[in-house]
Amino acid sequence: MSPKLPVTAEKLSALNLLLHGFATTNAEVHLLLLTSEDGFEVAAHPATDARTARIAAMSSSIQALSDSLMREVGLARSNSLIVEADAGAIVVIGLHVAKPRMSLSIFTSKQQLLGKLLWAVRSLAASIEAELLR
Amino acid sequence: MSAGEIKIVFAGPMGAGKTTAICSVSDVPPVSTEVANTDQAAFAKELTTVALDFGQLLMSDGTVVHLYGTPGQQRFSFMWEIAARGALGVVLLLDGSSATVEEDLRTYLRVFCNVAQSQPLVIGVGRLEPGEQDRLIDFHAVVRELSVNVPIFNIDVRHRKDTLLLIESLLLILEASNPGVQHDVA
Repeated sequence: MSPKLPVTAEKLSALNLLLHGFATTNAEVHLLLLTSEDGFEVAAHPATDARTARIAAMSSSIQALSDSLMREVGLARSNSLIVEADAGAIVVIGLHVAKPRMSLSIFTSKQQLLGKLLWAVRSLAASIEAELLR
Repeated sequence: MSAGEIKIVFAGPMGAGKTTAICSVSDVPPVSTEVANTDQAAFAKELTTVALDFGQLLMSDGTVVHLYGTPGQQRFSFMWEIAARGALGVVLLLDGSSATVEEDLRTYLRVFCNVAQSQPLVIGVGRLEPGEQDRLIDFHAVVRELSVNVPIFNIDVRHRKDTLLLIESLLLILEASNPGVQHDVA
């Protein structure tokens, strides 16, 4: 995690609880990652996934490219990005309300219904933003 | 990439001037993926590139040079190979005022000679103080250590003509290996 990220230990604990709670009620989700705009991991579930640092960087790259593409075509701000793969899907949601800006990335297996996931992820994102603004 | 299009990659450590270089020569508003840098302790820069920069330079013969800038921080190294795909050459930029400039030169030269094998490479060193031009001799020594023979320039990428010098040098190297093809920067 970036040493200068202004997230207190208490807030970090609350964020981890939100991620854990989401993973518990959405069994097909195998990784949740909250990242800073510049690619540092803020919180993750499971916390022990060895790939999170690299995935955090990749998520920020894809979020930034998505933002840039939306600006280029005049669609204002990128809200979410969905990547569908043979074995599952990734949803990346930009969290724009709190500063510094962050992204929430969810990695799920193929069995997860995408529409249901999107609804749940947007609800989680709103909870995270409320926590960051608290 | 179609005929009449060339891809060049700008590489180098954070703060070397890749984004600035592309902005200084692009004939179109460049695409940027700069975001706020949260690690000010490691890098005293407000912004950092997290994916890539993109610009275009139109040459007098109608050839379009696509300019790709890579992120400088090591954790985005996965983008280096992605951005370098199909590139005809690499411009390696270095910050001459950095305490780690020679190590940066070794690191990025090794990486991009591997990523863009057999593609020409030129090196631009910025932020040298007046009178520090002799430091280029030290950089040449590092390059010889790695058994590589590339031109090294003292430049300021804020100036369009300096960035164009790097691009023109790269194109000259390409032309030397393809005598039937010539390019003139507009």
